[in-house]
Amino acid sequence: MVAFNNEAREVALKVVYYGPALSGKTTNLHALHDKIDPKVRGRLMTLDTKDDRTLFFDMMPVFFRSASGVKVKLKLYTVPGQVMHESTRRIVLQGTDAIAFVADARRSEAPATLAYWNNMLKNLEANQLDPRELPIVVQLNKRDLPDVRDEGDLQDLSRVVRPAVIPAVAIRGEGVVETLHALLTLTFRSLDARIGLERSWHISEREFLSQIFSHVDLRGTRLAGSVGAAR
Amino acid sequence: MMLPQSVLQAPATLGDLLDVKSFSEVCQSFAELYRVGVKVFDIDGHKLVDVKVGNADFCGYIWQQQEGRSACMATVQQVKGAPVGEEAKPTTFDCFSGCRYVVQPVVYEGDALGRIVFGPFVPEDLTQLPTTLTNISSGFDAAAATAYLAKIRRVPQATAEKILHHFGEILEVLVFSGHKNLLTARLHIEAVQESYRELQEKNRQVELSYGKLKELDRLKSNFIATMSHELRTPLTSVIGYSEMMLEGLGGALTSEQREYVGIIMEKGENLLQLITSILDITKIEAGRVRLVLSDVELEPLVRDALSTVAPQARKKNLTVTFGDVVGTLPKVHCDREKVRQCLINLLANAVKFTPAGGTITVGGKDLGDERVALYVTDTGIGIAAENLPRVWDVFYQVDGSSTREYGGAGLGLAIVKSFVEAHGGEVQVASSPEQGSTFTLVFPRRATGAAAARSHPTARSAAG
Repeated sequence: MVAFNNEAREVALKVVYYGPALSGKTTNLHALHDKIDPKVRGRLMTLDTKDDRTLFFDMMPVFFRSASGVKVKLKLYTVPGQVMHESTRRIVLQGTDAIAFVADARRSEAPATLAYWNNMLKNLEANQLDPRELPIVVQLNKRDLPDVRDEGDLQDLSRVVRPAVIPAVAIRGEGVVETLHALLTLTFRSLDARIGLERSWHISEREFLSQIFSHVDLRGTRLAGSVGAAR
Repeated sequence: MMLPQSVLQAPATLGDLLDVKSFSEVCQSFAELYRVGVKVFDIDGHKLVDVKVGNADFCGYIWQQQEGRSACMATVQQVKGAPVGEEAKPTTFDCFSGCRYVVQPVVYEGDALGRIVFGPFVPEDLTQLPTTLTNISSGFDAAAATAYLAKIRRVPQATAEKILHHFGEILEVLVFSGHKNLLTARLHIEAVQESYRELQEKNRQVELSYGKLKELDRLKSNFIATMSHELRTPLTSVIGYSEMMLEGLGGALTSEQREYVGIIMEKGENLLQLITSILDITKIEAGRVRLVLSDVELEPLVRDALSTVAPQARKKNLTVTFGDVVGTLPKVHCDREKVRQCLINLLANAVKFTPAGGTITVGGKDLGDERVALYVTDTGIGIAAENLPRVWDVFYQVDGSSTREYGGAGLGLAIVKSFVEAHGGEVQVASSPEQGSTFTLVFPRRATGAAAARSHPTARSAAG
């Protein structure tokens, strides 16, 4: 749940990367860490096991101060994907403002994807969050592997699933920035509707996005050229 | 509606993120290395660390003067509270005494969590005491102050900033590690609480189911007890009237009629015995076994039990012998009827499972230690080792198939075990397939009411 502090002129947001085990949530955060200028992000915190499986969560903060003097702090979290960490997933999801659902695009992974989608809906409900109102994007990751769903499937999926579906190969950094951009666009609109980011805090959607994405290496992304230094 | 606050997003102060005691030691060692003092404040101005190096005499001398003291306090307020921005860059504060401080905010995740104060040190270009110091009072001793100042390290500005920058980087890593530990701990606690909550919910459901099952079990036992009772009444009449007919009270019978009525009576008695066993088990399961204790001679009791099974043994051409020393056994304080029932059940089993021509032996032993054993050994079909632990279970039959060779409800041994345990005793079984079995009942010389109360439905038992 967005925390805003009028006195300190601060808005703190929480974004969670959710999805099945080994779908690439941590890889997304690593790729973003590489692509975002350290000026607007902190260290990547990982709490993993010896075999590099996420134990509790990963976290990376992104922050900027708007032209109107408001400090905006975003924290990107991942949940642990392994089934046994169910209660941790629920806790990490607590009070989230947006979700990137990272799915493995391979057909063989469809049952796991569906199970975790439903698991996410259940955990959102447990946290009193309404999935119909929450900004959510779906990232179909690992598109470089054989047996993935094709474009036709993607379009079919887009018709039945409300959230935007973004193809990605997170391990190569492809689609990662696009996913965050799509999600933050939705997040801004959702927050603007709820707390009046533009009206009360004087932060426009254009500024919100450019404050972050002007510090992101956009080379090779579909956003190159479209997100500039607009302030 | 208030949504649950995220434990991960809860704010933390610099003091929360550092182990202040260990951090003070690091600062101490750092200050000694550079021979310059270090102070660290959190964002609200609370001092977390204060290490002084070299300036005690100089500052102490100034502090003795009234004006010096107030000027000093003003400098401290400046160093501690004046704005220094939100970037990890140094700001210089000159003290009226000619010394200098460099101050840098502790920046973490884009937030200033506090500040590091490096100093006081003497700027490299300071050649003489400034008038702001020498003029503070008429009695100011410049020579003494200069001597004290010499104890404070002289540092070039660029070096001071470099040292501070370096220290700031180390502190940022410490804060990051501290934050990581804090979040891990918070999440861990939260996860444990969450798991506990889930377990409690599951326990509640299990308890609910257990309560329902217990109620069903009670209803089942009641039903069986009632039905057994209701079955016994007409059955007693069947047996009684058969007996009357056999005795000729209803007129003379042909030999065929006698045979048929005899079979009706025998089967009726079998049925009555079975129903009695079921009643016994339901009593045991309901914890209603009561022992009627007295001092019992074992030999007549064993003979009595033997006489009960003797006719069936004879029919199968089995030899029944007395084993050891039953006659020499001491009296046992027990429930005579229940011990007799135990022996009858064991003997009936032995007869049932021993092929024609076999031998059954009944004996007893004084085990010392105030314990007495009764045993029944047969040369029957025996029991495989893997089945031995379950023979005492209620309704257990080694051969549970519908085409099994030997009949029985699987209650006999369960009853034996419960009765023996009600006395505070124990049951044992040893067996070899095709060789035979030995069932042993160990009784304490004096059973007590307490032992009786401890017994009951663990009742596990078997064949027959």
